[in-house]
Amino acid sequence: MLNVNNIVKQYATHLALDDVSLSVEQGKIFGLLGPNGAGKTSLIRIITQITAPDSGEVIFNGQRLNASHISQIGYLPEERGLYKKMEIGEQVLYLARLKGMSSAEATKKVRYWFEKLEMGSWWNKKVEDLSKGMQQKVQFVATVLHEPELIILDEPFSGFDPVNADIIKNEILELNKKGATFIFSTHRMESVEELCDSIALIHHSKKILDGTVAEIKEKYRNNTYWVEYDGEYNLEQAAGIFKVVQKDELKDITKLKVQLEEGKTANQLLSALLPIVNIHRLDEVIPTMNDIFIDQVKQKN
Amino acid sequence: MTFLLTRLNKKINVMNKILLIIQREYLSRVRKKSFILMTLLTPLIVGCFYGLLIYFSIQGASSTNNKIAVVSENKTLTEKLASTKNTSYVYVNKSLAEMKSNLGKDGFDYILYLPEFSLDAPAGIQLLGTKQAGLAMNSKVVDDVENTIRIQKLKESGIAQEDLDKLKSSVNIDNKKIDETGKEQDSSAGATTIIGSAAGILMFMFILIYGIQVMRGVIEEKTSRIIEVMISSVKPFQLMMGKIIGIALVGLTQFVLWILLSATISTVAVKVFVNKNDIPQSAVSTLKAKVGSSIEKQVTDDGPIAYVQKSIANLDLTKIIMVFLFFFIGGYLFYSALYAAIGSAVDSETETQQFIMPVMMPLTLGYVLSLSVVTNDPYGTIAFWLSMIPFTSPIAMMVRLPYGVPDWQLALSMALLVIGFIGTVWIASRIYRVGILMYGKKTSFKEMLKWFTYKN
Repeated sequence: MLNVNNIVKQYATHLALDDVSLSVEQGKIFGLLGPNGAGKTSLIRIITQITAPDSGEVIFNGQRLNASHISQIGYLPEERGLYKKMEIGEQVLYLARLKGMSSAEATKKVRYWFEKLEMGSWWNKKVEDLSKGMQQKVQFVATVLHEPELIILDEPFSGFDPVNADIIKNEILELNKKGATFIFSTHRMESVEELCDSIALIHHSKKILDGTVAEIKEKYRNNTYWVEYDGEYNLEQAAGIFKVVQKDELKDITKLKVQLEEGKTANQLLSALLPIVNIHRLDEVIPTMNDIFIDQVKQKN
Repeated sequence: MTFLLTRLNKKINVMNKILLIIQREYLSRVRKKSFILMTLLTPLIVGCFYGLLIYFSIQGASSTNNKIAVVSENKTLTEKLASTKNTSYVYVNKSLAEMKSNLGKDGFDYILYLPEFSLDAPAGIQLLGTKQAGLAMNSKVVDDVENTIRIQKLKESGIAQEDLDKLKSSVNIDNKKIDETGKEQDSSAGATTIIGSAAGILMFMFILIYGIQVMRGVIEEKTSRIIEVMISSVKPFQLMMGKIIGIALVGLTQFVLWILLSATISTVAVKVFVNKNDIPQSAVSTLKAKVGSSIEKQVTDDGPIAYVQKSIANLDLTKIIMVFLFFFIGGYLFYSALYAAIGSAVDSETETQQFIMPVMMPLTLGYVLSLSVVTNDPYGTIAFWLSMIPFTSPIAMMVRLPYGVPDWQLALSMALLVIGFIGTVWIASRIYRVGILMYGKKTSFKEMLKWFTYKN
């Protein structure tokens, strides 16, 4: 639904985005990853039409991005902000109407969401009277209220306590199920693995990696396994099948982290071990997104 | 056709958004306690002040009657000082020492001591009192004594009393201004100055107060970080214009309320402070003014307030108010756009100082020059240019207006102001759109210039 094609954005002294392309599929949750200052926010600002790219184009549902798409995009910036002196209900209503909703429709929606997230009693409160977590909730509601097709969340869980973070996560999944497409911008990898279907990694203004989470993980598997057993095994016998990366000897149990040699399979690893020791456990070590992220960023540095 | 419809739709959409922003900016300010308080209190203070002023000038005129005992050792001046309305001279046949000891108990307010002197070199005259004689009182007595000495000298040089009487003439200048159609209009330098200055001061205050409100509003949006949410829904230009227009309406609301409330309160105040028993001048003069122009001269004689009131009545107040509103809106737009640009360039109000200076300077200069140079010479070259240049014209033109400004000048000044504010709004919006998204950077003029040239 969203295609970003060869975007370049130059600020006075530095290149914020250098020929970045990516594509977000309808109904998916897309993770936009990268260390601080990589260019994530610059890209989001282009998608939300806050700024325009120097070259390249953004295609939204087959059309070149234009003002009519504003109402179809919801954006929760990393730097949250609301009018401090304005009442909550009025404020959310105002933001929804600026997205093009009619007054009656917006009122209905605000009531629905306030009810749903147990914020009913906040209507006449001012933002400055709310806790930070409560403000985040209000802001989330303001972002999704106009039922945008594309919802862009910049660090959505920062500032939430675990309980509220969970509530918000469930709301995101529910909206996703109903068809909303999400873009997550974050540098916190746990949430990415849980929620995202695909990701793009941006570093130093360039996209250095993208694809579905499954694909990427597949790509970064390197035939490493954890094996647990009891018994004596002479590691020299393993030559040609696997090599030991790490060895922990506990009371009765030995834990080995091994990497298979080129072309060998887990079955061959087991065949080698089975006759000699009692196997307790065999796990493939799949790199976490965090590992991949750190690995990639380090490589590029 | 569909293309036209979508274009129309877009236009409506843009207008709707600006209207929404205007509505929020307006309501959020008008509902503030400080706004309500300011709007109600100011006319109350002004009204009471006006009422008191009238009260005291009426009371003052009738009550400060000074009785002066004249101790004259000067033969030529004996029984020559004539009493006037507020000062009565009574020649006493007592010595100065005697009078001094009785001062305050014998019903006299002051003692005027005239020693023996030659009329060519009067010296040693003293005015004694339990309280220090005021400036007005002092100059009155000086005038009276000087006058008496002059008459005495004229007599000594052989001019008869009748001839002297003939010399006396009462001069009263009726200020009349002749407009293009040849019609005469009563005018008064005093009243026009008051109206002009008041309008100028009001204009200066309004532009300053509401211009700074625009700046504060922009800074508030920036520091509370709502700006990014806003800008993902509306164009920076819409947000800026919505804010500027919304605040302008707040200003107009306040202005209109002030006028209405001031008028009501001062009418009430005059009624309360001035009871019917001492209706001396103002009421009588209004009556006389109604009777006809034949007694106008007497009306002007009746008192300064009636005089000013009459002159005000002769000014075209509707025109002044309409022009005021135009120049207020124009001048406000001109300056508030600059203030919006400043607000967008900084992170907090403390950083605004270096940018406010260059904006404040022409405004203040216009204000100071308008109240000095323009009031002294409302038709001069300086006055003309000040009322043409958009930086100063809102104030200078308001000061000039009551004196009468040719229509072509008014039209030219208005046109220049419109061009001026379109210019500043355009410049400001280019700085604003970049500035509002810049955080944590110390901005310089050079930086702002760079922003101005940025592409989108």
